[in-house]
Amino acid sequence: MPSKSYVITKDQSLFSFKELTAYKELFWMLAWRDFKIRYAQTFVGLLWAFIQPSMTILILYVVFGRFANVQTGIIPHIVYSTCGVMAWTYFSYVMTNAGNSIISAQAMVKKIYFPRIIIPLSKAVVGFIDMGITALILAVLMIVFEVPLSGNVVYLPLFVLASIVAALSVGILLSALTIRYRDFQYVIPFAVQLGLYITPTAYPAEFAINRLPEWAAILYFLNPMAGIVEGYRWAILGTELPHLMSLWSVASMLIILVVALFYFKRIDGKIADYV
Amino acid sequence: MSDVASAIQVENISKMYTLGSTHITLRESLASLFGRKKVDDHTFWALNGVNFTVMAGESIGIIGKNGAGKSTLLKILSRITLPTEGRVTINGAVASLLEVGTGFHPELTGRENIYLNGSILGMTRAEIQEKFDEIVAFSGIERFLDTPVKRYSSGMYVRLAFAVAAHLEPEVLIVDEVLSVGDAEFQKKCLGKMGDVTSSGRTVLFVSHNMEAVRKMCSRTVWLENGKIKMIGPSSEVIDAYLSDVKDNAENVRPGARKDREGNGRLRAQEIRISNPEGTHLQSGSPLKIDIDYEGDAKEKMTCIATLGIHDEHGRRVGTLSTKLTRALIDISSGDTLTWEIPRLSLTPGKYFINVFLAHRTEADVVDWLQQAAAFEVMSARFHTESDEVYYHKDLVFFDHNFRVS
Repeated sequence: MPSKSYVITKDQSLFSFKELTAYKELFWMLAWRDFKIRYAQTFVGLLWAFIQPSMTILILYVVFGRFANVQTGIIPHIVYSTCGVMAWTYFSYVMTNAGNSIISAQAMVKKIYFPRIIIPLSKAVVGFIDMGITALILAVLMIVFEVPLSGNVVYLPLFVLASIVAALSVGILLSALTIRYRDFQYVIPFAVQLGLYITPTAYPAEFAINRLPEWAAILYFLNPMAGIVEGYRWAILGTELPHLMSLWSVASMLIILVVALFYFKRIDGKIADYV
Repeated sequence: MSDVASAIQVENISKMYTLGSTHITLRESLASLFGRKKVDDHTFWALNGVNFTVMAGESIGIIGKNGAGKSTLLKILSRITLPTEGRVTINGAVASLLEVGTGFHPELTGRENIYLNGSILGMTRAEIQEKFDEIVAFSGIERFLDTPVKRYSSGMYVRLAFAVAAHLEPEVLIVDEVLSVGDAEFQKKCLGKMGDVTSSGRTVLFVSHNMEAVRKMCSRTVWLENGKIKMIGPSSEVIDAYLSDVKDNAENVRPGARKDREGNGRLRAQEIRISNPEGTHLQSGSPLKIDIDYEGDAKEKMTCIATLGIHDEHGRRVGTLSTKLTRALIDISSGDTLTWEIPRLSLTPGKYFINVFLAHRTEADVVDWLQQAAAFEVMSARFHTESDEVYYHKDLVFFDHNFRVS
């Protein structure tokens, strides 16, 4: 048992980073459970994981590549957008599942103590399966269209890390808000839907810089994924270095992270009373 | 400085709940922020200034009517929720038997669930591995280890869940028997596990409605009422005082007016009439009829499980009438009367109390649960002959029986 002796008072913070490390096995168990339930149980589960990104890629290609005729330089549009989808898929999966995680774990939360933040955190792992599948599709497309892998790829882990932080920040904030205000349950699917369009997955972010007034462009880049998606493409496909505006994405991500942690900590001890 | 010999020190614990605002909407919250409309801040104190100390190795019972604050106290001690005021110091690892089966996933196999549940309960992977064979043997589900638990019978499910919990080795064990309504096998296992833990010198906190079990297992008992300690002391004294209070309540207060009940209240027992359809007074060997009038906002029929528990004067459970025993459900709505009939009462003369329980479809969805809802007295005994009185003085029940010599 992780906790030997303890004192309980009203303003005690329920999670500390020291305690989180004591619960790392639970973190992996929860991630493993999600994986098992999602993929290992049914054949359709694994198939579905391929169908979903494939359809998204196809539709983005038809709408943006063909109908809107978005130009993406020497890189074929479908490769360009698949790289964006790879980053976006991870973000949307983790945000959705982390956001709903505490409400779905009500039975556990009401009956037993462990640091609650483990629940949304554990969702970060399974998202990599979806990302990996999209990466596989991307690899195939790159071979087919003879797009070479950029040497910038050594910086890719940096952007992957950024997408983990961004997805978890938003996810943790949503999970806490959803506990307090049920309305936020409806915000999540809406955010995913809008996010696909306001993130430069299927078009270059320069569109926002060149075609919008500056204030609107800043607003556009306040979406943390705006800068991150550009980063993925720079690292994998060797497109232009993300615009300086991307610093707004970094700033926004860090602010969301801090707000999320503070807010989560504030409601942490009351979660069992709210659910 | 904290006393080294104390396992649990509860100092001035209070817990306030705000009713009606747990699931507030954003709009209500914003409205209250701008002072337009006050969020309904109807508050109540589930616990109010509770103090007690449990020594290491001691077994302590916690009793009280429904809504007295027992569950809230347990939730605070097991860190599920924080107190509004006060402080609890716990020395030693805590496990509670209110978390049996927590985190079990129907799609996962028995084996997988042992690992998952074990780690949720705070065991390390190495500990689970070490005890794995023991857990499996204890549960008796060897053959179904690699079957998803959704295919288990409910008995198998409980056995497996309990096996995992029983292999925790806490210094402080919290048992909430109140939550395990109705499952006799489970209750028996809980008591057995408690016995083991107590005899190995560890600390047990036992919440129960079973006065005999508390009397037997716990040296001291805390009686909670309306969030406060009404009495604390040697179990026999506290339980006797509690039972006599309960008796007054059952005899003098109309069921409909009682506040110490649990459930969502969509139907509530208003009046209870206990009668002998064949005579003027209740007696052994005669039929017994119990009518319960239900009222509430459930105007449409609700499909329910109904249970009626009979206890003797010492708080011992002597019998249960339940739709569940015949795997039946009843449809009931406001204004209906639920009638129980016992064709031939086998209770010996004495005073008895009934608990009435109504739940929507499953026992977890409690509609109304009122303990010691009514009292009745079984008068003279006419079970076998006119002169049963001579024999029954120590018996609890009469039996129909035959004898022969051959």
